[in-house]
Amino acid sequence: MKHNTWIKIASLLMVVALLSSACAAPAAPAAAPAGESAATEAEAAAPAAEDGKKILRVAYGAEIDTLNALTSQNLTDIEITMVDGLIMSDNNNSYVPVLAKEIPTTENGGIVVQDDGTIEMTWNLHEGVKWHDGEEFTSADVCFTLDFIQSEAGQAVYNQTDYMGIIDCQMPDPYTVVFVWDKVFAAYATLFDTILPEHVLAGQDVLTYDAYNRSPLGTGPFKFVEWKPGEYIRVEKNTDYWRGDEYPMIDEIVFSFIPDPNTRVNALKAGEYDLGQILPNQVKEVQDLEGYKVDLVPANSWIIFEFNVATERGQKLFSDPNVRKAIFHAIDREAIVEGLMEGTVQIANSAISPTSPYHNPDVPVYAYDPAQAAQMLDEAGWTPGADGIREKDGERLSFTIINRNSRPERTAIAQAIQAMLKDVGVEVKFEDLENAAWLQRWLSTDWEAIIGGWIIPADPSLTALYACEGSNNFTGFCNPELDAAMIASDEVFDFADRKPLMDEVQLLMAEEGRELPLYYNVLPYVMREDLQGFKGSGTNLGSFWNVYEWSLGE
Amino acid sequence: MGRYAIRRTIQMIPLFIGISIIIFLIIQAAPGGPETTLLATGRFVSPEILAAYRVRLGLDQPIFVQYFRWLGAALTGDLGYSYTSAQPVLTMILERLPATIQLMLSAYLLAAVIALPLGVYSAIHKYSILDYFGTGLSFLGIAMPVFWFGLILQLVFAVQLGWLPSSGRETVGDTGLVDQIKHLILPATVLSLLYIAGWSRYMRTSFLGVINSDYVRTARAKGLRERRVMLVHALKNAAIPVVSIMALDVAGLFSGAVITETIFAWPGIGRLFIQSMYARDYPLLMGIIMMGSILVVVFNLVADILYGWLDPRISFD
Repeated sequence: MKHNTWIKIASLLMVVALLSSACAAPAAPAAAPAGESAATEAEAAAPAAEDGKKILRVAYGAEIDTLNALTSQNLTDIEITMVDGLIMSDNNNSYVPVLAKEIPTTENGGIVVQDDGTIEMTWNLHEGVKWHDGEEFTSADVCFTLDFIQSEAGQAVYNQTDYMGIIDCQMPDPYTVVFVWDKVFAAYATLFDTILPEHVLAGQDVLTYDAYNRSPLGTGPFKFVEWKPGEYIRVEKNTDYWRGDEYPMIDEIVFSFIPDPNTRVNALKAGEYDLGQILPNQVKEVQDLEGYKVDLVPANSWIIFEFNVATERGQKLFSDPNVRKAIFHAIDREAIVEGLMEGTVQIANSAISPTSPYHNPDVPVYAYDPAQAAQMLDEAGWTPGADGIREKDGERLSFTIINRNSRPERTAIAQAIQAMLKDVGVEVKFEDLENAAWLQRWLSTDWEAIIGGWIIPADPSLTALYACEGSNNFTGFCNPELDAAMIASDEVFDFADRKPLMDEVQLLMAEEGRELPLYYNVLPYVMREDLQGFKGSGTNLGSFWNVYEWSLGE
Repeated sequence: MGRYAIRRTIQMIPLFIGISIIIFLIIQAAPGGPETTLLATGRFVSPEILAAYRVRLGLDQPIFVQYFRWLGAALTGDLGYSYTSAQPVLTMILERLPATIQLMLSAYLLAAVIALPLGVYSAIHKYSILDYFGTGLSFLGIAMPVFWFGLILQLVFAVQLGWLPSSGRETVGDTGLVDQIKHLILPATVLSLLYIAGWSRYMRTSFLGVINSDYVRTARAKGLRERRVMLVHALKNAAIPVVSIMALDVAGLFSGAVITETIFAWPGIGRLFIQSMYARDYPLLMGIIMMGSILVVVFNLVADILYGWLDPRISFD
């Protein structure tokens, strides 16, 4: 008997090869004749030119979870191309009306305080706006959206609590909505950035209704075409867009998911995409890329070095403001900005970005001055011990920064701060944590110091972050004077009343020396030179806010 | 052999239950829960909303209750819903599976086609230039960080030369086979490198062991041509251990695909795994890891059976 091993091995390899080609088959339907492959290749080289269609290819970061903008935990750039809200925030940190004719204010009569203290807020809606399926958009859709957000399922909406002050939603006619508020909520213009279609979602479990969450129906400039999981989402021009026939000016947008930031840069450099967001320290690599331009969009986001006084040890080390301020003076922010961030960002001295009308430039600045830092620490009673690290009452001036491994640039900053503080006799240690573990630790308030950061809406309210009872104040700091100013600013509607209060908030925070603002973040976008109309916005609603007026080519 | 396979298959059932318990516990023991994704984009969310989120997902229940709920559903084929996308886990896995299998098998074939001849050649021409080259390549393959090698290939072939696409599985709007193959080349090369390194070494060693054995000497003594002795008589037996190692490595390839898929934006299971890991998407993680363990256990069995099938000296009882 001849045992033919050779044939067996060969047949195994054949099986593997067959399986392999079987898996490729689903992506290549209807087996294209061999002669056609040359033609498809030519198309691949210049897809934007295919039948004169203007296609915008976007190298997008992580794949998103759901296309329901209200329940998504990702930024909503993609949804914004398809779904409109009553408002949108622009590149000047201001809110602009979208489906509403204007944003109600006390001045234009849209906001009226009733005798019983409730507030009536009237939104006039555009007429003749059509959903992508041809149904008309009306005030019923707005009240339906509110009903969903206020329902139990609406807990999935991250800012649900902000909507809870609305006690009634009235529809005097199809183009008018009246919200009745139980009290003043200054940030009302941040709400309703998305409106759901009642005729599609009524009676459905919105959270799991795939027909909407995987292919949303909106009133926006683009219509959903296709979502290939892990690959891309494709949207095409809405030919019946309510702003008029001239919009949108691009025929199709493809968002390709490229999670790795280095790959994203390589893909842009290879000319495969027309637009993509990169990291601040990658800007140099693409600065001189032929046919492309770089736009550094100032983000509504600031990076801070902050302490925690919620723990006993934190109290001992950091409750004296002079110790905190001394440490701030020992940190060379210029070196961090120039050296680590390659000069792409701007040093921050307050929480509110200069792009916001609420920014206050007149606050104390913690300039780099190690001599002064040492002197202040001496005066505060912290004197160098045997190992050069300062001590007071048997306690060493030594603390641990928890680093988040998904933010390598922040770890680099922590390392720089470690070296700078060593020069003034302060010891810094590190604990590196995986992303979710870091978040949990941070929420638990059981930590000593972090390099943190926030991104805020165009509205400047900071109450949730810094008030004594603020839902996201995990630092243990509590300043009643600051609370008073912040809460007062949340309870007035008009810019003229609110601006001085927010100025005071920024001043008080800097004087208290609770945290050291390091820099205002930037969002660098690389785009084809002939992409016109891009006006990057650094708010939580992102840079696609005016995508309807973008154009490609001449 | 049939009875052996059936016995081994039945033994897998308690094994899978044991695996699922351990994985379930380990996943939930990792610090940080799915509610932390609510904070991922730097938004501020109140602790009350975070707590309500856990309740909505049933995570406030004791862990054994959660496990038996999962197991009960899983036995009926329901792997639950992803926390992040609210889609059925099984649907999500099946959507991504073809891309992963395509990449894995391409890398597998590529590795086999290069590693096996290289190993044989290195053994026959011991200490030749190509043998040293093979040794060097192996060290390089084992030592080179995958993510770095991937980025370098992108820079050379996509950015500098423009021959191949940098990432992705297809050019949007192009369903041609040529386009697909172009997209496959770089990730498959990166993924196969480690296996080229390993298999060529095994092949070389195994071949060297065989060519000094008696039956090879007998074949030579019969006056057979050297080429025939090497490529028919020696290779046949030398290949047996290598083939079973290759079967075991199928499961290993799956874990290698995690990094490769992320770097090349390949829409497979590996990337889904990374995403679900960061999001602490427990049901999705369970689904993917269970699938991975099934792969390991099944290919262990395949390796054992193949070994006996190829080598009649092995008996199964």
